[in-house]
Amino acid sequence: MEAVGLTKRYGGRTAVDEVSFSVSRGEVLGLLGPNGAGKTTAIRLLTTMLTPSSGQFRVAGVDCGKPNDIRRRIGVLPESAGYPEHHSGSEYLLYHARLFGLNRTDAAGTTERLLAEVGLADRASSAIATYSRGMRQRLGIARALVNDPAVVFFDEPTLGLDPAGQRQVLGIICDIAQRRGAAVVLSTHALTEVEDVCTSVLILRQGTVLAAGTVAEVIGTVAAQPTAQLRVPSDMIARAAESLASAPGLQLETTADTLRITLAPGGDGHVPDTNAVLRAVLDAAIPVLSFDLEGTRLSDAFLAMTSQEPR
Amino acid sequence: MSWYVVTAREWRDLWLGGRGPILMFALSILLSAITYLAATNQILNYLEQREAVNLTLQVAVAVGALVTLVVSADAISGERERATLESLLLAPVSRRAIVLGKLTAAVSLWLGAFAVAVPYLWALGRGVSALVPAMVTGLVVGTLLAVGLSAVGLLISIRSKSNKVSVSVSLFLLLALFAPTQLPTPHGAFGVFLDRLNPVAAALHYLTTVVVNGRGWTHDLSYLASSLAVALVGVPTLMILAPRIVHLVAGDHR
Repeated sequence: MEAVGLTKRYGGRTAVDEVSFSVSRGEVLGLLGPNGAGKTTAIRLLTTMLTPSSGQFRVAGVDCGKPNDIRRRIGVLPESAGYPEHHSGSEYLLYHARLFGLNRTDAAGTTERLLAEVGLADRASSAIATYSRGMRQRLGIARALVNDPAVVFFDEPTLGLDPAGQRQVLGIICDIAQRRGAAVVLSTHALTEVEDVCTSVLILRQGTVLAAGTVAEVIGTVAAQPTAQLRVPSDMIARAAESLASAPGLQLETTADTLRITLAPGGDGHVPDTNAVLRAVLDAAIPVLSFDLEGTRLSDAFLAMTSQEPR
Repeated sequence: MSWYVVTAREWRDLWLGGRGPILMFALSILLSAITYLAATNQILNYLEQREAVNLTLQVAVAVGALVTLVVSADAISGERERATLESLLLAPVSRRAIVLGKLTAAVSLWLGAFAVAVPYLWALGRGVSALVPAMVTGLVVGTLLAVGLSAVGLLISIRSKSNKVSVSVSLFLLLALFAPTQLPTPHGAFGVFLDRLNPVAAALHYLTTVVVNGRGWTHDLSYLASSLAVALVGVPTLMILAPRIVHLVAGDHR
């Protein structure tokens, strides 16, 4: 899928402004941004629910001017999708499979296979009203796959799910990209999810692209100084600080129960090795309770980018 | 044939989901009461047999139109409110097929109402030569009204941002159309014109002309003009506008 200069205006307000990107089969693109960044609008443009004010996109070789043909090639799990409460899971999927042109026999086969894939085979004939939120999301994912799509869009798929449910849904999303070979666009606020499953990311703010590339590339665009929080037994903080005092490029700051270490780059731009820091503490026979690196995660880059004043 | 898939689903939701049978059960209770009153008044010679048939037929047509309009008014705005519209629109089905499917399913409620009314009409009109023409006329007139009002209900539903607004506007419209039927017969050219302009009042007047007065069905077809016009204008308007007006509204979560 490829989008070039995609723009959506509502009167004087621009919801999506000149967004361009591409995503290939087997890749997972993370679409990030604060609330109101234009993520859902971008997805609705790409899924033909909205018409772009300018720009264009192609899905599996089909131009955006053919919305019906595009819809045949995409699968979508919309944000906060609703479900007919009195239908069973299999009835719901059967209906959507029929809407995609499958005959009764094929639709029944697809329904059965997809329900098994998302782990709902044993609840196929239960009313959706009795499904948990996680089960509904998995049913929504199954619905998005009834047409064996080339591109699948997920808009906040883990919203409101417990950690187990989140992990399950993310596992299914990875599987869709890896095993089915579909291109996946994942819009989410959960940045750890993106780091775990996405091959590339696109960060939006107020409709414009702030950063794009692989997770490492995007983190690299923000030169935040990495810091580390070292927790050792409180009576050993002074000793820990002492053991690190001679190490080059470290700025130490002690609090009641932690030692905050700023890994300042030296004159050659080289950032001190975190392994060496840990080794020095361990060599001093100080037990490490925890060691958390900050400034090296996507969430750090995201916050640094999105907290800047908009242009 | 994707409209057929939508119709089948809507039909199933209406008739197997419980709404249709409940509405028909309520209609049958209403018709039972009316038939009982009409039959007992016949015995007392207060009501002629033809008038009793006409009264029951009019109630069936009116209730059929009411339920068809209300179900149509819920069709799109209800999907929007239940957050199921986006999933439906994401299928490679034309907007026309979606509204056509919903319209045909809604009209099935009128046909159900008519089927419920048939035994009551037969019980009241046994021995009356006008019974069969009354039933045929009732079916044609009711179908015209149901199709037209269903199209109007769907247009209201598409344009409404909430289901409450859609159903309220539709009920108000129906009330506005029914109210004149309870007023004395209008006199003067303007009054008659207004009577013919109102599809519900004109259709019920037409039924009275055929069933009670025993006129032929071709006697005064001008009374059918407005209900025919609503059906002939409403459905094509719906089909023409559907691709442009059936969409998600700004701020929709769906």
